[in-house]
Amino acid sequence: MKRERQQNAGQLSRRQILAAVGFIGLASLTGCGSGDGGGDSKDLSKKQNGAMKEFRVGQQFKASKPLSFSMLHNDNPGYPYKASWLFWKEVTKRTGITIKPVDVPLVDYEKKRSVLIGSGDAPFLIPKTYHPSEVAFVSSGAILPVSDYAHLMPNFQAKVKKWKLEPEIDSIRQSDGKYYLLPGLHERPKSGYSLSFRTDVLAKLGLSLPTTWDEVYDVFKAIRQEYPDRYPFSDRWSTNTAFTVGALQSYLGQAYGVHAGWTYDNISFDSKAQKFVFTGARDEYRAVIEYLRKLVAEKLMDPESFTQTDDQAIQKLLAEKSFAISANPQELVQTYRYNLSKQVKGATIEMIPVPIGPAGPVVLDGIRLENGVMVSSKALKSDDFVAMMQFVDWLWYSDEGQRFSKWGVEGVTYTYSGGTYTLEKGISLMGSDPSAKKDLQKDYGFFNGVFTYGGSWELVSSNFSPDEKKFQDAMSQRKQLPIAPAHPLQSAEQEQASLWTIPLQDHVAQNTLQFILGKRPLSQWGAYVSELKAKNMQQLVDLHNKAYERYKKEHG
Amino acid sequence: MSTTTTSASPPGTQDPPKPAPRPAPRSAWRRALRRDWQLYSLAVLPVLFFLVFRYLPMIGNVIAFRRFEPGGSIFGEQWVGLRYVRMFLTDPTFWQVFRNTLWMGGLTLVFCFPIPIVLALLLNEVRRRSLKRFVQSVSYLPHFLSIVIVAGITLQMLASDGPVNHVLGWFGHDPIRFIQEPDWFRTIYVGSEIWQTAGWGTILYLAALTTIDEDLYEAARIDGAGRLRQIWHVTLPGIRPTMITLLILNVGAFMAVGFEKVLLLYNPLTYPTADVISTYVYRMGVESNNFSYAAAIGLFEAVIGLVLITTANQLSRRTVGTSLW
Amino acid sequence: MVKPSRSHRVFQGVNGVILTLVVVVTLYPFVNIIARSFSNERQIRAGQVTLWPKGFNLTTYRIVFHDSAFWRSYGNTVFYTVVSTAVAMVLTTCYAYVLSKKHLKGRNFLVGVAVFTMFFTGGLIPNYVLVTSLGMKNSVWALAVPNAISVFNLLVMKAFFESLPSELEEAAQIDGLSTYGILLRVVLPLSKAVVATMVLFYSVSFWNSWFGAFLYMDRTELMPVTVYLRNIIAGATGGTNAGAATDQLSQVAANIQAVTIVLTSLPILCVYPFVQRYFVSGVMLGAVKG
Repeated sequence: MKRERQQNAGQLSRRQILAAVGFIGLASLTGCGSGDGGGDSKDLSKKQNGAMKEFRVGQQFKASKPLSFSMLHNDNPGYPYKASWLFWKEVTKRTGITIKPVDVPLVDYEKKRSVLIGSGDAPFLIPKTYHPSEVAFVSSGAILPVSDYAHLMPNFQAKVKKWKLEPEIDSIRQSDGKYYLLPGLHERPKSGYSLSFRTDVLAKLGLSLPTTWDEVYDVFKAIRQEYPDRYPFSDRWSTNTAFTVGALQSYLGQAYGVHAGWTYDNISFDSKAQKFVFTGARDEYRAVIEYLRKLVAEKLMDPESFTQTDDQAIQKLLAEKSFAISANPQELVQTYRYNLSKQVKGATIEMIPVPIGPAGPVVLDGIRLENGVMVSSKALKSDDFVAMMQFVDWLWYSDEGQRFSKWGVEGVTYTYSGGTYTLEKGISLMGSDPSAKKDLQKDYGFFNGVFTYGGSWELVSSNFSPDEKKFQDAMSQRKQLPIAPAHPLQSAEQEQASLWTIPLQDHVAQNTLQFILGKRPLSQWGAYVSELKAKNMQQLVDLHNKAYERYKKEHG
Repeated sequence: MSTTTTSASPPGTQDPPKPAPRPAPRSAWRRALRRDWQLYSLAVLPVLFFLVFRYLPMIGNVIAFRRFEPGGSIFGEQWVGLRYVRMFLTDPTFWQVFRNTLWMGGLTLVFCFPIPIVLALLLNEVRRRSLKRFVQSVSYLPHFLSIVIVAGITLQMLASDGPVNHVLGWFGHDPIRFIQEPDWFRTIYVGSEIWQTAGWGTILYLAALTTIDEDLYEAARIDGAGRLRQIWHVTLPGIRPTMITLLILNVGAFMAVGFEKVLLLYNPLTYPTADVISTYVYRMGVESNNFSYAAAIGLFEAVIGLVLITTANQLSRRTVGTSLW
Repeated sequence: MVKPSRSHRVFQGVNGVILTLVVVVTLYPFVNIIARSFSNERQIRAGQVTLWPKGFNLTTYRIVFHDSAFWRSYGNTVFYTVVSTAVAMVLTTCYAYVLSKKHLKGRNFLVGVAVFTMFFTGGLIPNYVLVTSLGMKNSVWALAVPNAISVFNLLVMKAFFESLPSELEEAAQIDGLSTYGILLRVVLPLSKAVVATMVLFYSVSFWNSWFGAFLYMDRTELMPVTVYLRNIIAGATGGTNAGAATDQLSQVAANIQAVTIVLTSLPILCVYPFVQRYFVSGVMLGAVKG
C-alpha cells in the first residue's frame, strides 16, 4: 500500500527521466554517425526548393515560394531587437524569405553560440563570426565547408575576383583546403585606430602634427618640457586583453611590420625567409618594445596605461592630465571631442593617420576580411538549401543587398543623389540629427552590424564623418603587408599546439610588460628567448612550418 | 491478553530443534520503510531533482576521457583514456596555477571565515535594536554589487591617484601601482573578498544567535561572568553547530577561488601570483576550445574538493562531535 | 540594575569604533553610486562626485523608465524569483528535515547524494541538452528547476533542524501527529529564523542570476532585468554603443551603471527588513523548559 504511494509520487518525473534518457541515447547514436554529413553533399538536385533557376550578379533574388530560415541574431544594446523593424518586413517583400531570428545579447554572443552548436541546436545561419573562431567547429562537421558551395553565390565570387581577395581567402582555408566561413569582404582596407592629439596644445607650442614615430617622440618630449608634472600620453584599451594597450601596440606594431597588441599571434610569416617564425622573439617585436620602453623611461607615457580602465584614461585626458590618447573615429568625436568641448575651453583634438615607422607606409595584412557567416551543417539537409545560399549571397554580398542593409528603402529612409546618401528628414543615425524623432538603427533596423559590413569603398565610406574621411583616405593609400599563406593544422596537431600556445603567449605578454615598464632590463632579451625555447617555442614553429609545407604540396 | 502464538512442537516429539529464523536483511529495510515512509516520501522529489538535474548531466564529464569535438557528439568521439589527465599533470604551468589556487583558497579561508563571526558577535552586543539593524543592513550591501562593479571599485581605489595612494602620500610615500605588483595581488583579492562577504556572512550567525537560550546568559551572569566571559562560555558554544557547518563547507569550497574576480583584477604582470586554475583553464578554452582538457581538470578539482570535505567532516566528528553527516 | 563596569564601557567603545568603520567602508561606495546615478555627466567624468549628487539630473532614470523593455524584464525577474524561491524552499526544507533525522536508515547515503553534487557537475552542454529535451526552454521552469536545491543552504537548514530539541517532536508524536503534521505545525514555526534566512538567500541569488536566462531563453521578452542591464552596460561602456554626441546618450553612458545598480538592488534590499522580523529570540525554547 505504502509502496504504491511512493510510486505515484514519482511517476510524472519518471516519464521525464525516460524522455531525457531517450534523447541522450539518440544524441549519442547520431553523434556516432556525425562528422560525415558531407556524403551526398555534392548532389543538390533535391535541394532546389524555392531557388532561382538562374541567379546572377545584379539580379534581385526572389524565392519562387515563400521560405523561412533560422538565424542567430546578435542583439546590440545600441539598437535592441524589435520584431517590428521595417528591415524584416522589407526582406520578406523583396526576397520572399522570412528570417527567424534567435536573439542573443551581444555581451554573451560567443558563449551562447558555442553552446548552441555544441548541443546541436544551432540555427541555420550564424553571422557575426570572427575568424578563427569557426576553426573549433570544423573537425566535428557541425558547420559547412562553404567553399564547396561558393558556386551557388555569384555575388560573393564576383567580389573576390574583382577585389583580388584570393590571397586573403586562401589564408582562412583549413587543412582540407576548404574554408568554413563566408567572410565580410572589403574593397579597400579600413583602418580602425590611431593616435589622437590635443591640437590646440601643439599649436601653442608651435608643433605640427607628427607623421612618423620619431616625430611622435619629439612632440611628447616637447609637451613634457612644458608640463613637467604630467605625462603627455596616457593610454587605454588595456582591459580584457593579455596584450594591454592593445590598440596602441597594434598600430605601432604595424609600423614595424609585426602583429602586436590586439592583433598579436604567436606565429607570423617572415616573407623574406619564406617561413613561419615566432612573433614574440622577432627583432621587429623587440623594436616595438624598445620604443615603448623609451617612452615610459623618459616619463613621456603614463605607466598606468597598461593596467588602467578606459574610464580612468579618458578622465585623465579630460582633466588635462594627459594630452594624447589612442582613438578610433567614433571615440574621437563622441567621447573625446564632445566632452573636451564641455570641460576645457578652446580644446581641440584630432586623430592622425598612423605614424610611419621602419616598415614604411603600410597597413596590416588581412584586414580586408571581416566577421562573417557560418552555415550549420543541418542546413544542407534541407530542401531549401540552394535557395538559402542564394539568399545569403544576395543579402550579404550583392551591391543592392548591401545598400539595402545599410541605408534602407530609398524614398522611405534615405535619398541618393550625386553620390551622397542622405537620410530622410526625421531620421537620425548615430546622432547625426539630434532633433530627429526616429533612429535608422533603433526604429527601422537598418545599419545593423549583423548585416552591414564590408562592401565597396563607395558604400563603406558613404557614412564617414569628415574626420573619418580624412583618416581613411590617408590610410587607404598605404600598402598592405604581405599576407601569410595558409598553414592549417590538423585536429590532432591543433590539440598539441593549443597546449603550447597559452604558456608561450602568457610569457610573451608578461615579458612585454616587464621590459616596457623597466622591470626587466632589455639586456636580458637573450635569456627571455631561452625561456621561450624551454616552453616549446621551436616545436610550435616547426609544427606550423610543417603544416605550411604540407598544404603547399597538397593544394599548391 | 494475547498469547504469543508460536508453533511450538508438541511436547514429547523428538524433532530436532528448529534453527532460529535468521532476520532477512530485507526485513530491516521493510521495517524502516514502514516506520518512516512519510519521511522517505518527503525525500522523493529532492532525490529525483538530484538524479535528473545533477547526476544525469554529470555523464557529460566522460569527455575528460574521450576526444571531444565541439559540434559533434556531446559525449565525445572516442576513448583516449588518461591522455588529458596526463596532459595537465605534466604541464608546469598547471602546477603553478594550482599552487596559486591553494594559496588564495587558504588565505580566503583563514581570513574570511572568522571575520563574520567576530562581526556577528560585535553586532550582538549593540544595545539599541534600531542601531543594530542599521549596521547589519548596511554591512551586507556589498554583497549585492556584481563582481564587475566590485572589481571596478577596487581598481579605482588602487589607482595611482586614488584614495589609497593619497593616504600613502600623507605619510610621504611614493604612489604604488598596486595592480601591477604580483606581491600585492593576494592582499588585494582577499581584501575585496572580505569587504564583499563579511556582512552577508553575519546573517547566518545572527540567526543562530537568536536560538541561544536567554536563561543561559542569566545563569552565567549569576556565576559572576563578565561580558567577554559570557561570550566565551555561552554565545560561542551556542553557535558552534553553525560554525562547524560553515567551516566544513568552506573547506570543501577551498579550491573554488573566485574566477570572475581574478579575471577582472589580474593582468600579465601579476600572472605569477594571480593566475588560478579556473582562469588558466578559461584562457586555454578561449584559445583552443579544448573542452576535454577543461573537463579533466574539473574532475581533478572535484576529487580534491570531495576529499577535503570528507576529511574535514571526519576530523570534526572525531574532535568536536558535530559534523555534517 | 548592575552598573556597567569600566571594562564593559571600554569594550562598548571599541565596538562602536569598529562598527562605525564597517559602516563607512561598506556604505561609502553605495552612497557614491547613488550620488552618481543622480549626477550630471560632466561632474562624473571630472571625478567630482563623492557623497552628494552634483548637477542633479534624472535623465538616465527617465530614459530607463520610458523603455518598456525595462519594465517587462523587471516583471520577469519578479515572477522568476518568486516561483524559483518557492520551488527551492519546498524542496530544500523537505529534504533538510529528512536529513536531520539521524535514526533514518540510509540517511548518510542521502546526505552523500547531495554533497557529491557540490563538487561534480555536468558541463554547459549536457545541461543545455537536458533542459531543452525536457521542453523547459523559454519558460520559468528552466530557471527554477535546475537550481532548485543549493546544497549549502540544504546543509545549513539540516544543522538547524538537528539543533532543535527532540522533546518537542516526541511530544507531538505522542499527540498523534503524522510526520507531515510535525513538520508543518511544530518544526517550521520554530524555525522561522532559518526559514527566513533561506528565503532571503534564495531570493537574492535568483534575483541576481542572469546565466540561466541567457542560456535557456531565446526571446528578448523573456529576459530578466539582469540580462537587460548587463547588455546595456556592455554597450554603453564597451564603445559598441552607436551612441551619439547628443546630451542624452552621453549622459546615459556616464551613469547607466550606477542607475542599474540602484534599480536592481533596491527591491531586494527591501526584503531584508521584512525578513529581519523573524529573527526573534527563541522564546519558545524557554517555554519548553518551563
